[in-house]
Amino acid sequence: MSPVGDTDRLIHSLALEAGTGRGRTAFRFERRLLLVVVLALAVAVALVFLLFGVSPELTATVRSAPFHHKLASTLVLAGGGFFLVREAARPGGKGLALVALVPGMALLGWGGVTDMSGLPVMGGSGISVPICVGAIILVSLPALVLIVGALRTGAATRPTLAGATAGLLAGALAAAAYALACKNDGGLFVAVWYSASILIVAGLGAIVGRRALAW
Amino acid sequence: METREQIWAAAMQAGRHGDTGAYERLLGEIAQALRGLVRGRLARLGSAAHEAEDLVQEILIGLHTKRHTWDEGRPFLPWLYAIVRYKLADAGRRLRREAHYRRDVTPDQWATLFEAPAQDFDRALVDLDRHVNGLPVGQREVVRALAIDGASVRATAQQLQTSEGAVRVTLHRAFQRLAAAAHLDRTKPTGDKP
Repeated sequence: MSPVGDTDRLIHSLALEAGTGRGRTAFRFERRLLLVVVLALAVAVALVFLLFGVSPELTATVRSAPFHHKLASTLVLAGGGFFLVREAARPGGKGLALVALVPGMALLGWGGVTDMSGLPVMGGSGISVPICVGAIILVSLPALVLIVGALRTGAATRPTLAGATAGLLAGALAAAAYALACKNDGGLFVAVWYSASILIVAGLGAIVGRRALAW
Repeated sequence: METREQIWAAAMQAGRHGDTGAYERLLGEIAQALRGLVRGRLARLGSAAHEAEDLVQEILIGLHTKRHTWDEGRPFLPWLYAIVRYKLADAGRRLRREAHYRRDVTPDQWATLFEAPAQDFDRALVDLDRHVNGLPVGQREVVRALAIDGASVRATAQQLQTSEGAVRVTLHRAFQRLAAAAHLDRTKPTGDKP
């Protein structure tokens, strides 16, 4: 029994599955990912309300300019993350097209550079930073699980990198949700600590992806 | 004149629509193209020739399992190359790890290579678990499902979204690898618990 004969037999058995199973329909990864992102965002918002309660100032918060800036920059960043995850899910996808992250990063950075509020970079109180970073990381976890789960239906040929893109997307969604409860409106605070939290989640995603996305 | 890209993309598409013959020819041609490449790669890593055919099979199973991720609107070859690169890198890491392990075996241990195995059943189980954990992901999943969870080949194939043939081949290779690992393990000094 020659090994090459084995391969021929294997090929024959694989070929019998032509046109069956998941190979039959086109892989609609974008649609699946979009669903997952909407679900992840909903879970993140629910988690933020669960952790911080529904504040009486919520209606005032959602009308304020700092909230709009936080929401816009994190959601634009999430849009870039969506693109990166999409490419990471397919063999031969575009590599790490960092340019997709430029708009979101520019918005976050712009808020920091043009920050005239005079609010401290460490936030309003001593626990502002740990609360902000901790909350974004915590809230991002269900999103990360969902996005990595979606990536597993694809084929990431660079699992660590794909995991990092998943973490980036999850972190950006979590930051957008956290903006509902965030009491620190300084542009510099947001630029530094939102970015740091998202980066930490991206690192977490890389660690998870390395194992969870190998196939 | 049609390029390889066009021919293979058309065959892949035909396979998607249920053309078994076209898909079989495609896999055969890919296997043929892979053989030379894989042998060259593995020779540099100082690994045995039979490993090359194993790796060719592994790549074929991988691309078959992930065939839904090829987008007909995008070129086929970059998709294929990315899968081949991934599987080669994966195998390279594994082989280097194993080569390192082989080098760690001292002459004394080589001398005891053919001694009777220890009769300690519990320890053997612990060792088995450790060896199973050392398998590549695909083989590990198959061994866990079939040998440890006791699932059927069909159920395992469905669960892992691959074919029954692929499960059988993967299991066979996992056993070969486990046997090799157990063989090496016996040469390690006693008391070397995981």
